[in-house]
Amino acid sequence: MATIAQPSHDGPRRPNIASANVQLPAVKDYEQVDDEILATLVPTKKWFALLALAVCFLMVGIASWMYQIHEGLGVAGYNPPVMWGVYIITFVFWVGIGHAGTLISAILYLFRAGFRTTIYRCAEAMTVFAVMTAGLFPIIHIGRPWKFFWLIPYPNWRLLWPNFKSPLVWDVFAISTYLTISTTFLFIGLIPDIATLRDRCVNPVRKQILAMLSFGWRNSEAEWRHFVRAYLFLAAFSTPLVLSVHSVVSFDFAMALTPGWHTTIFPPYFVAGAIFSGIGMVFTIIIPIRKYFKLQHYVTLNHLDAAAKLALFTSMVVGCAYIVEFFIAWYGGVQAEQDYFWNRVFGQWWWAAWIMLTCNMILPLSLFSQKLRRNPSWLWILSIFINIGMWFERFVIVVPSLSHEFEPWQWTTYSPTWVDYGILLGSFGWFFMWFLLFIKQFPVLAISEIKEIIPPKMKGKGPRGGH
Amino acid sequence: MMQGMMGAFQELDATVAAIEELKHKKIGQISVFTPTPRHELEHAVHAPQSPVRRYTLIGALSGMVFGYWIAVWASEYWPLVVGGKAIATWIPYTIFGFEVMVLVGALSTVAGMFIHARIPRLTLTVGYDARFSHGDYGIWVECAPDKLKDAEAILRHHGAVEVRGDR
Repeated sequence: MATIAQPSHDGPRRPNIASANVQLPAVKDYEQVDDEILATLVPTKKWFALLALAVCFLMVGIASWMYQIHEGLGVAGYNPPVMWGVYIITFVFWVGIGHAGTLISAILYLFRAGFRTTIYRCAEAMTVFAVMTAGLFPIIHIGRPWKFFWLIPYPNWRLLWPNFKSPLVWDVFAISTYLTISTTFLFIGLIPDIATLRDRCVNPVRKQILAMLSFGWRNSEAEWRHFVRAYLFLAAFSTPLVLSVHSVVSFDFAMALTPGWHTTIFPPYFVAGAIFSGIGMVFTIIIPIRKYFKLQHYVTLNHLDAAAKLALFTSMVVGCAYIVEFFIAWYGGVQAEQDYFWNRVFGQWWWAAWIMLTCNMILPLSLFSQKLRRNPSWLWILSIFINIGMWFERFVIVVPSLSHEFEPWQWTTYSPTWVDYGILLGSFGWFFMWFLLFIKQFPVLAISEIKEIIPPKMKGKGPRGGH
Repeated sequence: MMQGMMGAFQELDATVAAIEELKHKKIGQISVFTPTPRHELEHAVHAPQSPVRRYTLIGALSGMVFGYWIAVWASEYWPLVVGGKAIATWIPYTIFGFEVMVLVGALSTVAGMFIHARIPRLTLTVGYDARFSHGDYGIWVECAPDKLKDAEAILRHHGAVEVRGDR
């Protein structure tokens, strides 16, 4: 568990601050942690306004989807052979967003990266809601959403089983496992904090609900011993799961012979892109939260600095993958591949490709500057560009390939319709509605883990370190 | 009939010292409450290693076997015959083996934690106090009635801010 260390100032530290002994010098004791974090649970007018806005976006999405169900998939922008469009792009986008949560909560936990402590709860919640959002899109995309359960293997009167060699069935297993494990991981981590909430709650009905949700957690040493061990194993399971899920999503593309898709670089390229986009979304969420709830002394500039370094690293991995794709197309000598990549950057889809390259490769280079890494306003603006860039990355993967396959008679174009955009907007409404509801019901920072890095009260000479 | 004595502490080292003395004098069964996991308390209690890892191993292996089995069995039961291709192919089925291994392994881990931590629990039982989730440490000593006074004396000696008897 975390090491207890002497507090110090929140100034830049070298060579590396992503170590286990990250400190919160402005947080003095356990009582302060409880008081300040639980204070974020009080609903405010601004919160209601944001929730109303999210619900409005969701209504637009639902209305667009209802219209599509009534009229058929023709109202979406599909233009054969471009039969994957905004829905698949947005599916991959949201699955990607869901990766940073598990990276921050599980992988960084195993690596004992201390800066995760104050941001991981937000990231975990973001993961669950992003995967919930992603899961809707294949269902929307199939046009007849009431048939989606055909992909699930279960004994049925038709005596039919899904094709286990199909990447779409791999997706069902990967995404449903990821959603289950992410939700479990989030909820298990929440149990001690729910117990804290339960013990401080005065409303009898709410107290009863919290008592049930906390499973009667008592903070006993025996409970903690099993909890810590289980949490470690969950983290160990989640780590390869993160890598597998987006690899499996990339197989949806890489298993096809389509130019631009049939390449072995896709799994690592997708995983790195997913983590990059997820960290972008973490910044989008955590920076307003720390400002609005006045939690700057919990989510310190040191934490943002460390997360920004991770964003910079993954941006460079993604940038490297973009370059390697071009190299392979040139070195492979396949004319269709070469034509496709030329068309992607200098032809029909140049604008989308350059949005992607600017947002994902060029702008993140600013994070080499420590001054900018420690500037929350710039990080937030950059995170918006990363979100946009990563959506366009998936656009560039999906649409240009399908619109420029092997035969010239197949070459076509693609324009999303208002239905596509409406459902896209609705997905953001769905995601933020759940997130906003979450942050008013449960602590947005992990109370019990933050207490681990606060020096405990001692009767003797002073704080003493753990192991 | 066993009875109990609860002591609430504000300092970690005082709690550790009280636990060590209670254990040394073999006063009774000790339960410790802490707002956050601390190695100091774990060492003082001399707790055995958590057996949760066994649930993890058994769950993961069972899940992996099931993941491979469902894919192979369904392929044989409903064969999709393609020239030159095997009916059941092990390499792609590794995805099912892996995903179901993770799924069942993780859920078994949670089940193991629940079983050994004895949750869900309908009542918070005696000895618990709401302050133990806030910032204080607690020791609950369950002992024979004739040892209650010794327990109380040890808890007070080490600086418990509150000591109370409970049945």
